[in-house]
Amino acid sequence: MTVTQQNSHLSVVAANPRQAALLRSTSRFDSLPQDAPTPASKQKLSGFVSRPIKQIAGRIGLYAAVIVICIYSFFPIYWMIVSSLRAPQRLFLDTSLVFWPPDLSSYKSLLELTNYTTNFFNSALMAMATIIVATTLSAFIAYGATRLRFRGKTTLVASMLFAYMFPPLMLVIPMSALFRMFGLSDSLWGLLIAHLAISLPLGVWLLWGFFKSMPFDLEEAAMVDGCSQFGAFIKVVLPLSAPGLITVGIFAFLLSWADYVFALILIMSDQNKTLPVALASMLGAQDLRWGEILAGASLIALPLFVIFTFCYRYFVAGLTAGALKG
Amino acid sequence: MRQDWRIIGLFVGGVLIVGAIVGGPLLYSIKLSFYAAESFIAPPRWVGFGNYLSVLEDSNFWDALLNGIMISISAIVLQVTLGVGIALVLNRQFVGQTVVRALSIVPYFLPTVVACLIAQWMLDPNYGLIKSILASFGSSMFDWGANSATAKGTIVLVSVWIWTPFVVTCVLAGLQTIPVQLYEAARVDGAGAWKQFWHITLPGLRSVLIVVILLRGIWMFNKFDVIWLLTKGGPLNQTETLPTLAYRRAFLEFDLGGGAAVATISFALLATIILIYLRFFPIDEAKQGR
Repeated sequence: MTVTQQNSHLSVVAANPRQAALLRSTSRFDSLPQDAPTPASKQKLSGFVSRPIKQIAGRIGLYAAVIVICIYSFFPIYWMIVSSLRAPQRLFLDTSLVFWPPDLSSYKSLLELTNYTTNFFNSALMAMATIIVATTLSAFIAYGATRLRFRGKTTLVASMLFAYMFPPLMLVIPMSALFRMFGLSDSLWGLLIAHLAISLPLGVWLLWGFFKSMPFDLEEAAMVDGCSQFGAFIKVVLPLSAPGLITVGIFAFLLSWADYVFALILIMSDQNKTLPVALASMLGAQDLRWGEILAGASLIALPLFVIFTFCYRYFVAGLTAGALKG
Repeated sequence: MRQDWRIIGLFVGGVLIVGAIVGGPLLYSIKLSFYAAESFIAPPRWVGFGNYLSVLEDSNFWDALLNGIMISISAIVLQVTLGVGIALVLNRQFVGQTVVRALSIVPYFLPTVVACLIAQWMLDPNYGLIKSILASFGSSMFDWGANSATAKGTIVLVSVWIWTPFVVTCVLAGLQTIPVQLYEAARVDGAGAWKQFWHITLPGLRSVLIVVILLRGIWMFNKFDVIWLLTKGGPLNQTETLPTLAYRRAFLEFDLGGGAAVATISFALLATIILIYLRFFPIDEAKQGR
């Protein structure tokens, strides 16, 4: 019974592919998984008293599991922040969970004694440039791949997925040799190229799915009104694709901001290092300064937390889009 | 309809740029693997399959391959089991569900460096939190980095902590595609929670899990940063994997050709494994089953 039900549902959807695509797109980007109403909520009407003990035990078990999940996911991050706010002389002894009153001396010496501000600026520069270039270029490519007619379209889009498979070392070893040839070694320009190389395929893949599900009627209407296709792309398609573009921008930011492998190999001088590499090299230093290291790690994570709080749904959309598209 | 030349131009330009910055290095990597490029200054010398032979004769290579497979498989098994478990809990209705769901995926977005630093701080043999906790129970802290099993275990543990949220998010999305009526029908037929999970939830998640395991497998096998940041392949190459071996050869032993050969072999191996995997679990068929 269930199989036929599902099939008939599928055929209804398939009867109108454009609508189906729209449905998919809205489910991917505009709404997060919602909870279907469960019978448990209907039973609430029957009253608390008649509820069997088994069900109450189930609720307690559920909340216990939820608390365990919260601690598991967030405690290590909390511990990093708490530790970074301790006075240096108490850092190695204090295991209390309270950080009040906060002691900012680790942060102070991090900013005064190390290259942290320079490295922070390098990382921010890389991230900004990667966001702008990767989002723009992948929009051009993805739009062309959905609207232009040419042979080998599928191959082109599939090849973007192959980028998932390549070992980063297979990109960075030749890059280090090539950059030396072109005078780009130890340069942020070279690192930008590397960050684009990892974020562009993902961006094209995400936006390709997005543009494909966007009905052509909208552009057609604009073009009937005298707009060129390029004008329709800029004035109609791009504004409507804002959720997709934001998702690509966020993932370009994440890839660039968190990158360790490429920066480790392509950048040599302290002046050009980005945050992840600079921080990791502090750990290898002779005098292990955990206070400063943890303060630095907290500061790297800070911009992420801010963006995450405001753009949570785009994080989830990007995360599932890659896997659920298959 | 006539195509706009500006759209064509931007598209072709974009494709050429991607081809140059992604395709170019990949092809050059294969070329490098046939050359002896000991230093960056001397011109590379053609050696044919010499690099490949020397890599395959090196026992370190086979150890690294085995380590990589072991670490990847244990990490994936744990990630998927834990991920499905967490997703099933978060799929229930409870107060603060949205906040908890958000909290549970934070580790995924944390830079790997930060996650590894936290792990090293908590596990520090002299000052770490785990040491203090163990001390309060009267037992002493072990040096996890000095022993092969604990070093591997730490890498797996940190990988599981960082990347399980990916499984959770995908499984949560997959759970929404399973019709509620199926569960209602099963309950009417008297199926318990375990039977419902085994006969409805798991088959319903099949297509999601096939893709998730594939992607996580690819990413774990290629992982360099977690291992390098936590153990640098030590102790005594016990946690060396193909990516760290490629790095060591290319940049610490200044054998670019050898490093490129290791990377190329590991890519070829991965491609083979993926093809076999897809033969057993075709993604298209899985989609139809949904």
